[in-house]
Amino acid sequence: MIRQVRSCRDKLHAAGMVRPERLAILVEDDQLLQEGAEDLLALGRDVFAGTGAMAMMIAEPDVPLQTLIPMSIAADVHSLTPLDTETRTFLHDIPVIRRHRGPLPHREIIAALRRRKGVLVEDVGLIAVGQMTVEQTYVNLSSLYHALFVSCLLRLVRSGRFLGAAEKDLLRPLVRSLSVDIPPAFADMPSDFPDNCSAVRHAMAQAGRRTVELKLVDSFFGNVSCRSDQGVLISQTGASLDHLDECIDLVPDDNSSTAGITASSELVAHRAIYRQTKARVILHGHPKFSVIASLNCAETDCPVSDCWRECTRPRSIGPVPIVAGEIGAGGIAETLPAAMAGGIAIVYGHGVFACGQQGFRDPLQAMIALENRCRREYLNRLISIQGAF
Amino acid sequence: MLSRHYGWHGCLLHVDLNRQSIRTCAIEPQLLHSYLGGRGLGVRLLRDAHHREPCSADMPLIFAVGPLGGTAAPTSARMSVVSRSPLTGTVFDSSCGGSFAWHLKAAGFDALLVTGCSPQPVLLDIKEGTASLVPASRLWGQTVSVTHQALAGAGSCAAIGPAGERQVRYANIITSEGNAAGRGGLGAVMGAKGLKAIRVDGRRQTRVAQQSRLAQGVRDVMRLLKASPFVFGDLGISRFGTPALVDVLAQRRLLPAENFRKTLSAPAIRINAAALHQRYQPHKRGCHGCPVACKQFTEAGDKLPEFGSLGHFAALGDNPDLDGIVAAARRCNDLGLDTQSAAASLACWSEIKGDFPRVEQLPELLEMIAYRRGVGELLAQGAQRLADELHQPQAAMTVKGLELPPLDPRGGCGLALSYVTSNRGACHLRAFALSHEVLRKPVATDPLTFAGKARINTGAENTCAAVDSLVACRFALVAAGLEEYAALLTAVTGLDYTAGDLQAIGERIFLTERFYNQNNGFDHRDDVLPPRFFTSGMAAAEGADMAPVDGEAFADELRRYYRFRGLDEQGRLPATYLDGQP
Repeated sequence: MIRQVRSCRDKLHAAGMVRPERLAILVEDDQLLQEGAEDLLALGRDVFAGTGAMAMMIAEPDVPLQTLIPMSIAADVHSLTPLDTETRTFLHDIPVIRRHRGPLPHREIIAALRRRKGVLVEDVGLIAVGQMTVEQTYVNLSSLYHALFVSCLLRLVRSGRFLGAAEKDLLRPLVRSLSVDIPPAFADMPSDFPDNCSAVRHAMAQAGRRTVELKLVDSFFGNVSCRSDQGVLISQTGASLDHLDECIDLVPDDNSSTAGITASSELVAHRAIYRQTKARVILHGHPKFSVIASLNCAETDCPVSDCWRECTRPRSIGPVPIVAGEIGAGGIAETLPAAMAGGIAIVYGHGVFACGQQGFRDPLQAMIALENRCRREYLNRLISIQGAF
Repeated sequence: MLSRHYGWHGCLLHVDLNRQSIRTCAIEPQLLHSYLGGRGLGVRLLRDAHHREPCSADMPLIFAVGPLGGTAAPTSARMSVVSRSPLTGTVFDSSCGGSFAWHLKAAGFDALLVTGCSPQPVLLDIKEGTASLVPASRLWGQTVSVTHQALAGAGSCAAIGPAGERQVRYANIITSEGNAAGRGGLGAVMGAKGLKAIRVDGRRQTRVAQQSRLAQGVRDVMRLLKASPFVFGDLGISRFGTPALVDVLAQRRLLPAENFRKTLSAPAIRINAAALHQRYQPHKRGCHGCPVACKQFTEAGDKLPEFGSLGHFAALGDNPDLDGIVAAARRCNDLGLDTQSAAASLACWSEIKGDFPRVEQLPELLEMIAYRRGVGELLAQGAQRLADELHQPQAAMTVKGLELPPLDPRGGCGLALSYVTSNRGACHLRAFALSHEVLRKPVATDPLTFAGKARINTGAENTCAAVDSLVACRFALVAAGLEEYAALLTAVTGLDYTAGDLQAIGERIFLTERFYNQNNGFDHRDDVLPPRFFTSGMAAAEGADMAPVDGEAFADELRRYYRFRGLDEQGRLPATYLDGQP
């Protein structure tokens, strides 16, 4: 158990989504295991038992969402329904626990965590729980962070609200980071198509690991696949993209085996792309600024209400098309293949699919380029609306 | 009956076959709120009768639906049939789909409770708010299909076959849509009452407190089902039915052969989903209103077997014949026999006599069981009793008398633990460890370690008990969870339920079952796997053998499980456990 706790802690640190010194992890097995910042652990001890959870993580995110979000919403708003696909599918809505400068409302936190997988507590941070394993708690915290990050940053460029000095101070480190591009860390990746099964699996594992290292996806999300003579090799559902070595399924084209029932939920989309294009490898990540850009639609007076499924209006970021379509059997396999002619496309509110006809170098390069473009465009827009930071 | 109720009708139909009387009575709202319906309500209604003999006249047989039944909540057209099992002696519930539950709810009842024994065979005919008993001597002795045909019309029908009439200890109750209330012999309980069939036709709508919240909740669940590889994926059960599990279970070395002495060989795995599709081009159907529709039927309308039936019948031989297996499963259903217990009892008997039957011998053997002729009299007792009778108790692959499903506990530590802690005997669906040990949901766990499994199983058993009481389909749990189903329940009933509340209700139901079993003499000595799993590995045709279960680690984790459950070292609850329960 201690090994699991430390593994998740290290993943959180590596992902840079939380402040390393402001993290607490509590796990109940035979006894209560605790690790992290003492004041956050004290809060955890007060609320943990009431939630009935197996594990809890309390964290201050790298971007102070726990302060920025409450400042940007009305005082009587107690939950957020962000727009990204992760939240729509797995979290539904996110309770926001307001403090109004008062003491921490423990009962309210417990009640929210008996209902949902995670909450945002004003001026404290994110709290996520898991019923089964520490890793599940990590996945929930990661989802919570992704949803709130996207929601918060989208709000900054869409709400029309001008930021005060305090908010600008809080955002300054993020703004500075956006002026530095994600590095083109793909030179060591083979540009040729791997020539045997072992090399294919190695290339997939390397591509997955690199995508996580470059923060183009959080560890337990995204997927990667490769076309082979025998079918499609694809990462398993819920696999850690930076540890794929034993988590790749072979799915034969004729469905002569259904052992790939554990394959990624995006198998249907990958298969459709392989059927309709010349792609031989596919990489799927959730780069945050590409997701934000896809959600930042300028249309007004549009008759479509369910943009995730029904939007048919042609949109793009430069040459990269944006398409609608939900996860799995939710329509993505119908919309995505036609959009992949240029080798890369964004799925509205969800993430980026990039494919290549050789190795994973080209799709990774394309994903990095797209995300860097979206980061720069976001920064320019933010400054044009909010002024200099 | 209680018009202020949303979700529930607040009404029970009590049929006393001794007096041939029928009456409706109110169910206390507190019981509905605290036990929900289905398995939970059935278990609660059994409180004063749980010690009675399973096939005695005064033992109730309960059909209970749930608060989500009759609404748009996905996968909720289900019921639990609850009584005490003549096979295991434990309290027993069987979750059953089709459209019988939908009609029972639409007839205005949350539960049907049958007591007594009719001097002549009868049919119970239920229409909205009313019911009547009809002589059924002409149907007695008929197979399930003939009975269903005779009673075909509006609504749905649940019937027993010759096996139930003769009280075979693993006789099923089977609905006219082909769904079984299976495993524990509740068909024998029905047969002992002289009740051949129940026909029900209802049209009443379930009242929903908050339609817009329900619609939102349905959208949330549907999105998760569509995102699930297991449910709506290219290789999922919506397309291939539960046989979609065969290949992945074979890959993980979980499919046994020859009474759990071997792993299913490569030729035997040709009974997989692809083979079924190629051979039969099946049509899919679902339980009433279910979007998943995981049942597979031939063009002629015959139901194709689920993975449990395929696995157990394939395990009887090294080179199984698919048509023969399908025919055997169909014959079981027509005779009203549980496919898994029948095949597993045959496997046990075959090991003892040193010769496994050929597939063409199966129809006759199954008839002998159902009609209790010749060796069928012995086989009708189930694997444990027949092994005891033949002085080879070690050959019974059972826990608490229930035959294991075709899933080898050497391939999954959580699965192994769940077999012994299950209140109804060896069952993989009580803690549904396959979900995380094989299907990677909601998160993947290492199947070959016991670490953390006591804690995980405790929570999962509570979750499953709650889901069985809503009543929703266990397969939905691979995609959605109590969080989503609590939102649906809140929308339907107007009462505020959280996932945490449902966990607490599930715990209450699970521990009540354990307490009943304890009162009937069960304790830690019954929480054991057959010794074979601790002493023998599983020989695989491919060479790499599966190691036996680590007995010490198993015992340690079971002790931890007892601590999480608040049980003493003998696995017992305090004698006062029920005192504080509603």
